[in-house]
Amino acid sequence: MPQLQRQVFLGSIVVLLLIVGLLPLLSMLFKSMIIDGHFSLEAYRGLLASRHQWVLMRHSLALSSWVTLLTLLVGVPLGVILGKTDLPLRRTFAVLFVTPLLIPSYIVAVSWFDLLGSEGLLADLLGNPVAQMTNSFLFSLSGCVAVLFTIFLPIPMLLTMIFLRTIDPSLEEAGRLVSGWFGVLKGISIPLILPAVLLAAMLVFLLSFGEFSVPAYLRYDVFPVESFTQFSAFYHFQAATAAAVPLVAVTLLLLLAEALFLQEKTYPLRPSATIGRSMTIALGPYRKGVFVLITLLGFVIVILPIVVLLIESAGMDAYREALDRAGGSLLHSLYYAALGATLLTFVGFFVGYLIHHRTVRYWRMIDSVTIFLFALPGTVIGIGLISLWNTPWTNFVYATPMIIILGYLAKYTALTSRITAAQLAQISPSMEEAAQVAGAGWFRRMVLIVIPLSWRALLAGWIVGYLFSLRDTEITMLVYPPGYETLPVRIYTLMANGSPQLIAALCIIMISATLLPAALLWMLYHTMTTKEIK
Amino acid sequence: MKKILYAILALTAAIAIWQMDSVPKLSQKIVVVYVSEDQVFSEPVLKDFEKETGITVKAVYDTEESKSTGSMNRLIAEKNNPQADVYWANEPIRAEVLKQRGIAAPYASLEARDIPSVFKDPEGYWTGFSARARVFVVNDRVKEKPKTILAYIDPRWKGKSVIANPLFGTTTSEIAALFTIWGDERAKAFMEKLKQNDVALSTSNGESADFVAAGQYDFSLVDSDDAVNRSRQGKPVTMVYPDQGAKEPGCFIVPNTVMLIKGAPHPEHAKKLIDYLLSPKTERKLAFADCAQIPLHPSVQIPPELKPIDAIKVMEVDYAAVAKKMVEIQAFLKNWTGL
Repeated sequence: MPQLQRQVFLGSIVVLLLIVGLLPLLSMLFKSMIIDGHFSLEAYRGLLASRHQWVLMRHSLALSSWVTLLTLLVGVPLGVILGKTDLPLRRTFAVLFVTPLLIPSYIVAVSWFDLLGSEGLLADLLGNPVAQMTNSFLFSLSGCVAVLFTIFLPIPMLLTMIFLRTIDPSLEEAGRLVSGWFGVLKGISIPLILPAVLLAAMLVFLLSFGEFSVPAYLRYDVFPVESFTQFSAFYHFQAATAAAVPLVAVTLLLLLAEALFLQEKTYPLRPSATIGRSMTIALGPYRKGVFVLITLLGFVIVILPIVVLLIESAGMDAYREALDRAGGSLLHSLYYAALGATLLTFVGFFVGYLIHHRTVRYWRMIDSVTIFLFALPGTVIGIGLISLWNTPWTNFVYATPMIIILGYLAKYTALTSRITAAQLAQISPSMEEAAQVAGAGWFRRMVLIVIPLSWRALLAGWIVGYLFSLRDTEITMLVYPPGYETLPVRIYTLMANGSPQLIAALCIIMISATLLPAALLWMLYHTMTTKEIK
Repeated sequence: MKKILYAILALTAAIAIWQMDSVPKLSQKIVVVYVSEDQVFSEPVLKDFEKETGITVKAVYDTEESKSTGSMNRLIAEKNNPQADVYWANEPIRAEVLKQRGIAAPYASLEARDIPSVFKDPEGYWTGFSARARVFVVNDRVKEKPKTILAYIDPRWKGKSVIANPLFGTTTSEIAALFTIWGDERAKAFMEKLKQNDVALSTSNGESADFVAAGQYDFSLVDSDDAVNRSRQGKPVTMVYPDQGAKEPGCFIVPNTVMLIKGAPHPEHAKKLIDYLLSPKTERKLAFADCAQIPLHPSVQIPPELKPIDAIKVMEVDYAAVAKKMVEIQAFLKNWTGL
């Protein structure tokens, strides 16, 4: 009977996930093949016949490949330096480099435009000819790569830092007996974390491949921009779906590769029991030089763009106007992010539980579905949601903010489920088993044992869910009901002819709205964790 | 820690209940409007309407990326499940497309009685107000300014002019208008000659105006607000109304349009909003805003950079024919731009 309780409950969560995430995609696919009431593959034939599609494919592949290559080349060494050496302020640097990932991507692009654009800060300082050059650089493949590099750099950096901590220190100690640190890193540490590096490569590639707002802002034609334009500017529903097919295909291919080569090695993400005992590299005479280098990198790619926004928005008038115009949207953003985070934590927790305990035979499929939805561009999920819910009978979803929340749930469940799975891996199964032997039912065991023991995952999942819901632009922009726009959407629509001062002020408000609550919650989390350890 | 988790849960539940309560009901005093005029200009007008009438406005605005057609397409998608009451378009062609697709409902506002009939749908499905003119923005270093759209194919200007991508926005409308007044053959020949004369393509009218202001090109056909803005910013440019001669076709005018949506959930509030948008008061506001739009009511005060509508030789076009032509020439334009 308790088994039945568990299976029914977890089964309902899976069904919810499928309705929220997969059904819209299937509906979209089905509708794209029905033209004037008849089955037709016309939209797909058009896709193959058009020369433009191949240009888009080339652009998308070039963009994702360059971003992946550069983030790995810089991110992995950065992860080693911040995760394994005695560099001062390592944590501060890590937080600094993560910042661009937490804010809506196009805000990073706007800040670079305010610096390098034809009327940017550099144009004021160095004159028109230099500005023309930097402007041309920004509005090109190189500019797109540079902006996305700053956004996705934290992914390989963080994964490297986390996985380095899982290495058994005795291996490195043994290596140190016969070699210097360079040899140990080259021969032992890096090969051991190679799955993490490959995972980072896959994530960065997929996220760059599906990125819409930065290429759209910098006028670089890629598939997500085409799909959005086909839907939003031409309402070619079939063409929009067809333009999304290469995105889906590439996502599926990479996930398949992950399943074949990486999953067994990286899952579960189980930190070793020896955490806290990992060896530290003493930088010795290089300490000062490395510190200066890292400071410089952080200044150029994180601090400088924010400072430029601050300079551009200088003066209270811009902030007064920004709050006057977007105060309501800011509140919407905060509400929806809080609601989304709670639902994501709830659903993600049980999906993570299901994956960790392998309670159903198709657990791996569920895991892959969540990752697939996370990697899928937001525009595709948005089009799918409209396709499914835009009917008079489902207005309780389509005409209310619930459609936005469903979008968050579809896209970001992978994050909270993976966090839960990682946390559950650290809880001894004997606790739950003992309660089961004592006769406690599944719900009782969950409420009294598993959930209290997983509070870290719940809180961390809520924070991550909140941040990603808050920064979402792509899904929200397509589906928001009248009068319920969020701040990232409001900034995006105001960018058409809005004054640069107003846009910069709005961007600063968005950055503050993201970072301040996140910092407060994180401090709380950190304090509670430290207290518990003591 | 449990307390924090409970607090988060309680907060979220409170938000959920509050948000459910804020979902609009049919009896509420609200009006839903989809807007393709730039938000930065349209929103203050809608806020004033809220203040003056007590009717709450719920709006969906277009983004730059959807090229001012996103909201129109949302209306098409919602044809069988209308959410909007009013559509405020920044030009008449899309309004005409919606009329042809059976998405609009007729409403002849009394506020529009003084607006010239050329800017109104004869059956009352849409009404024009506050217009942009399609003008030349010319760099001040050019002594003899271009006076006709044919300057684009004059060898004298070879490689010295720029035009926004004709697949999008008001440039598409103007090209379609030329097709209706010149006929397909002459218009296609004109387009081919544009290529031969090395006319550059930009992504938008704003970018074209910036290119001219920076001296990269001598002139470009843009919307009047693009030219006025560059001039107000102190850039070295002059605005020229093209084709004003006796035998010339005149300047293409692009009015904003407003229409009532068929099956609108709040039709009475919708009519009040339409009346408000068509009033001389709104036209005056839009004339003095940064969008610098030309009022269509006679005797509305305007800023010095603009000419009153009755002082401009206007291109006489049938906007319904232009809308049909725009759809017809999509394939030609795609091919022309190399897509």
